[in-house]
Amino acid sequence: MDTLEKAVDRVLSGDRSAFQQIVDATSQKLVRLGARIMGNQADAEDVVQEAYVKAYRALTAGEFDRRSSTNTWLYRIVVNGAIDAKRSQKRRSEASDEQVDPGWDGAAFAEARLALSELEDWLQALPPDQRAALVLQSMEGLNNSEIAQVMGVSEGAVEQRLVRARATLRQKRERS
Amino acid sequence: MSEQEDLEQRLARLASATDALRPSAGFSARVMLAIDHAPAHAAHAAHAAHAAHAAHTPAPSFLETTWLSARRLLPVTAFAAAMAVVWAVQVDDSIDDELATSYTSELAASYASLELE
Repeated sequence: MDTLEKAVDRVLSGDRSAFQQIVDATSQKLVRLGARIMGNQADAEDVVQEAYVKAYRALTAGEFDRRSSTNTWLYRIVVNGAIDAKRSQKRRSEASDEQVDPGWDGAAFAEARLALSELEDWLQALPPDQRAALVLQSMEGLNNSEIAQVMGVSEGAVEQRLVRARATLRQKRERS
Repeated sequence: MSEQEDLEQRLARLASATDALRPSAGFSARVMLAIDHAPAHAAHAAHAAHAAHAAHTPAPSFLETTWLSARRLLPVTAFAAAMAVVWAVQVDDSIDDELATSYTSELAASYASLELE
């Protein structure tokens, strides 16, 4: 059993401090995933923070059945939260341009922010679920079966979203 | 180079450029703070505060307990008193009716005896 699963066991037995270990071990990749779907880091941190609160509540309420790994489960909560946030953002027709204090190397942060901005401009034409599927496959390196597990849909549905996402991006390129 | 390859290459480049992303300073502490202020925890905290308050409140005296109990019973007592008044008036009316009936009967008997005489 890896460190993450042991930390989950400790949270389940009432050790709240063990959840901090889960956050420390997973926040980097979850914030990165959230940022790639949301298109900026501030919104991603909001989504991931909310996902951790939901995860903690579920753990303490005994609602995590452990049929999937803790990593997959956290990915699922973040992806669902990001898709919902992106949908409501589209309804409000606004995107957050709030800046975050990176607290790390400024040059690397500036480059990553530029890349995120380019990603947002490029993928904003996609519906949130197609964008999430594309990010999970092409940027997070998950296969279709893993994406299906994370998104809670069939592999066929994942394949359909990926085909549509790529078709939309191709059409966008042809028009420009 | 096909358009499809361009698309995949661009995705790969942007994935690589965003690989260095990490949470801002203090993110982990903010998450733990949010967990502390989540509603489920707030309910637990409220319960704990109530228990602490109860632990520090002195037990009520006999008179306070009696007064509190009496206040709780006040509506029931008032209703019972009202019903008792209604019952008493009804009983009083029926007694009057019975007395009036017997008096009329006595008068009729008196008249009858006078006529016979």
